[in-house]
Amino acid sequence: MTIAGPVYLGCRYLWQHRWRSALVTLVVTLGLLLPAAIWLVVDLAEAHLRERADSTPLLLGAKGSSLELVFNGLYFSENDQPRIKLQDANDAAADGLGRSIPIYARYQAQGYTVVGTTVDYIDFRGLQFKKGQAFTQLGDCVVGSDVAQDLNLSPGDALVTTPERVFDLTGVFPLKMRVVGVLAPTGTPDDRAVLADLKTTWVIEGLAHGHQDATQLDDAVLEQRGENRALNASVVEYTEITDDNIASFHFHGDMKDYPITAAILIPRDPKSGVILLGRYVGEDRPLQLIRPAEQISNLFDTVFRIRALVTVLLVVVALSSFLIVGLVLLLSKRLRSAEFMSLRLIGASPGVIRFLVLFEAIAILCISVLLTCGLLVALWFATPWVLTWVV
Amino acid sequence: MRTYFPNLTVLALVVLVVGCDQSGSSDGDADNNGKPVVYATNYPLAYFAERIAGDTAAVRFPEIDGDPAFWRPSDAQVADMQGADLILTNGATYEKWAKTVSLPPKKTVDTSVSFASALIEIKDATTHSHGSEGEHSHAGTAFTTWMDFDQARQQAIAVRDALVKAMPDDKETLNANADALLADLAKLHEDMRSVTTAIGDRPLVASHPVYQYFARQYKLKIESVLWEPETVPTEADVADLKRILKDHPAAWMIWEGEPASESVGLLKGIGVESVIVDPAGNRPDQGDWLSVMKRNIDNLRAVAGRSSN
Repeated sequence: MTIAGPVYLGCRYLWQHRWRSALVTLVVTLGLLLPAAIWLVVDLAEAHLRERADSTPLLLGAKGSSLELVFNGLYFSENDQPRIKLQDANDAAADGLGRSIPIYARYQAQGYTVVGTTVDYIDFRGLQFKKGQAFTQLGDCVVGSDVAQDLNLSPGDALVTTPERVFDLTGVFPLKMRVVGVLAPTGTPDDRAVLADLKTTWVIEGLAHGHQDATQLDDAVLEQRGENRALNASVVEYTEITDDNIASFHFHGDMKDYPITAAILIPRDPKSGVILLGRYVGEDRPLQLIRPAEQISNLFDTVFRIRALVTVLLVVVALSSFLIVGLVLLLSKRLRSAEFMSLRLIGASPGVIRFLVLFEAIAILCISVLLTCGLLVALWFATPWVLTWVV
Repeated sequence: MRTYFPNLTVLALVVLVVGCDQSGSSDGDADNNGKPVVYATNYPLAYFAERIAGDTAAVRFPEIDGDPAFWRPSDAQVADMQGADLILTNGATYEKWAKTVSLPPKKTVDTSVSFASALIEIKDATTHSHGSEGEHSHAGTAFTTWMDFDQARQQAIAVRDALVKAMPDDKETLNANADALLADLAKLHEDMRSVTTAIGDRPLVASHPVYQYFARQYKLKIESVLWEPETVPTEADVADLKRILKDHPAAWMIWEGEPASESVGLLKGIGVESVIVDPAGNRPDQGDWLSVMKRNIDNLRAVAGRSSN
């Protein structure tokens, strides 16, 4: 009997018992895939997070969880990151050792984070425009590629911010922002961000506002002290910034005291970076200046240790699965004794029968390996996309 | 037939040159020839930048109808500024629009920051309007900083430093050009000091509240009204002036620009002469910032001459 005979018989057997064969293949595939997938996903996640962290030299924020600061300042995650003052960011860059880019990632617009910053951020991240241009006026915004696709936005459209508390009657009004640009896809959190001028986020917060001319509202005056007029709630506050009312928008208090959640600090040179870091060492400082890359490294040191442990466990589970599969094959040999006897009667040698069983096992293993490779390739392509949504 | 070819070539060249010239003169589409672009928000800064940068940079100052202090840039102009290599602002609340537009801090230089603590705060500023510009107020700080030529010198130094930082390869040229400008400013300062010393403490009245730093630096006693050169004052305006003159007997009114002849006549009727001290916040029709300032000094010599008599 040639090889073709047992190969044909093996293939027919596997097809005849396709559900059982599929089950065994699935067990073997999972046994191979899970440890490999964990390694791959963690590696890709690290590369994804590290790339953004590596491109951000220093990050300034309030004292507290440095990891939360990184996730808010770099990935615009929703958290209750304590706020600092704009002045803190200005002070950090005051003596020319570096320059700062403020970040205020707190508010939402239809499920996406509104990131208040300056136009320097667009330059710093090397963001390109698919359509339109950078924000130029108060109330303008630029949307990331995913936001534009999901909400079907183009320059000229409007995007309304989401109030923090729906039933807070004393809260600020939603602001209708003007979309002036759509960013080209980057594969980073910028794809899912709504970028606006820092001052626009302060308008969203209610720190700046525009309303009817107070000098013309004699009926709305509650109290007049000299030049100051206290007006009642009948005054119409603008919820959209237009060419006609933009001049009426004003800021109460000193803008330097206004809040931000983080500031990217770009030192002039490595030495300046070290000097800047040194200034924020000490328990008594209310601020922290961190290297995001170090925080991500620390995070992944822990993740790597956990990954190694999980991988060992998965390998043990996989080995157990393979042993069970082996047992299934041995048991099936007994179950198939009548079949093997028939083969002997028609002239098959014991070697041919052993080859037949071996072929079936190898075929299942080969299919499992192929499936594992295919799934890993799919995971390779899908993970970065999934990560932009998760982180 | 052959004789037409040179003519056609000349014609084509003329068309090309004229076309290039026209494109170069437009505000937003100027051909920079690869030079760094410097944007200035008022004419004095544009003049300082042009003097210091020379041929090393393309200085842009938008064509503004009216006073640049009450101008508001369009979306396209802000985008133009964002695309520039350097944005020179006057500071001292001159750019009231700055709070509602998005300028890149990396490229934006406040030229009055070195004397920020010396800025004069305007209290109880009245909202008013004139011409087609709409209402405006002089609230905030006094912003005609350059009329104190020592402050102008500090602003010129800020412009020089910003240009050197932006174009380190041209440092020598920039410093040499800046030295020449600073020498001119020092001469202006001395000449102005000389002529204002001659005026002494004789009271003066200004047609508009834009001479605060000028008055402080050169120790002049100036009270202001809210008149415009092209608008003939009403009886109420004249009555307000007369009230001021009771306690502040000024013999001269300082105007920002050439006053209407009726205004000059009205003032003469109450014993007040007119003199022009143009802050040149916008690009003058003739000459440049330096020549306007020299003309201001010459004009004030008439006041000094009358004062000393």
